[in-house]
Amino acid sequence: MTSKYIALPKGVSEKNFDAAISDFRRVLGDASVLTSAEQLAPYIKTMMPVPDADHTPSAALLATTVEQIQKIVAICNQYKVPIWMISTGKNLGYGSAAPAERGQVVLDLKRMNRILEVDKDLAFALVEPGVTYQQLYDYIKEHKLGLWLSMPAPSAIAGPVGNTLDRGVGYTPYGEHFLFACGMEVVLANGEVLRTGMGSMPNSNTWQVFKWGYGPYLDGIFTQSNYGIVTKFGFWLMPEPPAFKPFVIQYQHEEDIVEIVETIRPLRISGVIPNAVVIAHALYEAPVKANRSDYVSGPGSIPDEAVYRIMKDHKLGIWNVYAALYGTQEQIDVNWKIVKQAFGKSGKAKILTEQEAAEDPAFIYRAKLMRGEMTLTEFSLYNWRKGGGSMWFAPVSQARGSETLKQMALTKQILAKYGLDYSGEFIVGMRDMHHIVDVLYDKTDPEQTKAAYQCFDELLTEFSARGYGTYRVNTAFMDKVADTYGPVQRNIHKTLKKALDPNGILAPGKSGIR
Amino acid sequence: MERIKSINVRWAFMLILIFFAISNAWSAPENEPNTGFAWKDGEEIYTKICAYCHEVQVGPQIRNRELPAAYIREIVRNGNRAMPAFRYAEIDDESLAKLSEFISQTQSKH
Repeated sequence: MTSKYIALPKGVSEKNFDAAISDFRRVLGDASVLTSAEQLAPYIKTMMPVPDADHTPSAALLATTVEQIQKIVAICNQYKVPIWMISTGKNLGYGSAAPAERGQVVLDLKRMNRILEVDKDLAFALVEPGVTYQQLYDYIKEHKLGLWLSMPAPSAIAGPVGNTLDRGVGYTPYGEHFLFACGMEVVLANGEVLRTGMGSMPNSNTWQVFKWGYGPYLDGIFTQSNYGIVTKFGFWLMPEPPAFKPFVIQYQHEEDIVEIVETIRPLRISGVIPNAVVIAHALYEAPVKANRSDYVSGPGSIPDEAVYRIMKDHKLGIWNVYAALYGTQEQIDVNWKIVKQAFGKSGKAKILTEQEAAEDPAFIYRAKLMRGEMTLTEFSLYNWRKGGGSMWFAPVSQARGSETLKQMALTKQILAKYGLDYSGEFIVGMRDMHHIVDVLYDKTDPEQTKAAYQCFDELLTEFSARGYGTYRVNTAFMDKVADTYGPVQRNIHKTLKKALDPNGILAPGKSGIR
Repeated sequence: MERIKSINVRWAFMLILIFFAISNAWSAPENEPNTGFAWKDGEEIYTKICAYCHEVQVGPQIRNRELPAAYIREIVRNGNRAMPAFRYAEIDDESLAKLSEFISQTQSKH
């Protein structure tokens, strides 16, 4: 018998699903309950190398109020229907807007998009999940608030709630986003509404200024998790500095990465460089300026010789170090001397500022990211292999030069085995270092798609065996990564899940938690 | 008598204040009608989404090519290779129609 739905939730009969859909329609209205193939098409497209059928939703619900969400969870509990929550739904390279498991109902909060408060003096914002960075950016400009955003590379179309809840990062001094989160409102699976931290206290006006409240700090358990539905989210904004000086430092040899990280670490820990420093490989920056097909054809990964030609033709270093200074001109002048002295010691660095690199498209978009301006130029990465395949591989290590070459060699070796290129960068955080590799492949090519899946699986296996944990991963590999953190953590996650969501209605499978 | 009346008025005023303080802290935001973001016109959508790729050689030039509205709708809703799909919740059908019109017919200002 043909179903009227394109998928059904696991373990839910069509009859029961009919009843649930009917109840959803009573709460939201017909126009906000989507079930047809045409309506659900945008929720299905992912960049992962797995069949779209594995992540096809059964329906999507467009809720706009807390009250509606409370009613939705009541219906889900009644019929044991699982929901997958999205905010702006642009988790590109991590699963996009598709649910973790086939048949889950997407709870799409994009239209819940009010900017509830932006305080100029205390420099904080309180927003709903559907607010995009572009929307907030426009609001701040329109009201002349003098505040800067920090956002990830998909800036304009992504949003602070989804990005921070998935523990995403940005490129300004406020780039470790969850560090700057302050207060959440969460609808729990039983329909109760929790305001975390100071928000739990009636009449308090400190919800967005003091993170900890009283007792165990709860905000963390609502990130990369499925313990509640975040409906309001507070976070701190950076006051616009009087002066800003972005720069790029180029190096010509891959082994220079050791010196680069050793130079950066003390500057980051002491705060001389206040934002996360990106050390982008030539192949990460090349797509902004070059076409792969102009340098190489046929299967297999790009040879080193072609990479050197790209560097020469497009004025790229093999490593391109992006960072910025912020503050008054006097502060910047002092810190710039320290930066130049530190990087200038070995004589290997080529230091460029806006004066020399103002016309360079890679520098332009990096500078925009470091001052919270909207840009989607980094999407040029997706033109490298074309075909819309991308997965972010993101292992974490200590910020030490000695951690770089062995990671790069292992990554390149595994990528080459599957005919894929090393589009990688290292990002030096406060004491950590993220090794970010965009595993790019042509999703329209079945062989390359299969290779990409095996490649990513092997990267996770080999890196975790060496103690490198992944900080974030796409929905096809969440269980595998959860396993790498060991059984005790998985059990704790499961215990919390059972306590907070006994029917397992909220995003089963998120971070491997069911 | 006058004094009692004035005390009663003060109490009533305080009770109202307390009521509003409590309701503001707990129930007001979720009961407010949603007055969130809505697109003004096709040009705004183009400028704040499409142009970031299609005006900087990340995606192909799409303006002034007389692309049919049905084709634009198909690509926006389904995505195309590297281009992400955009949901009804992001760009409603009416706004998408305005966007298609802008892409197909307006002279480039970008």
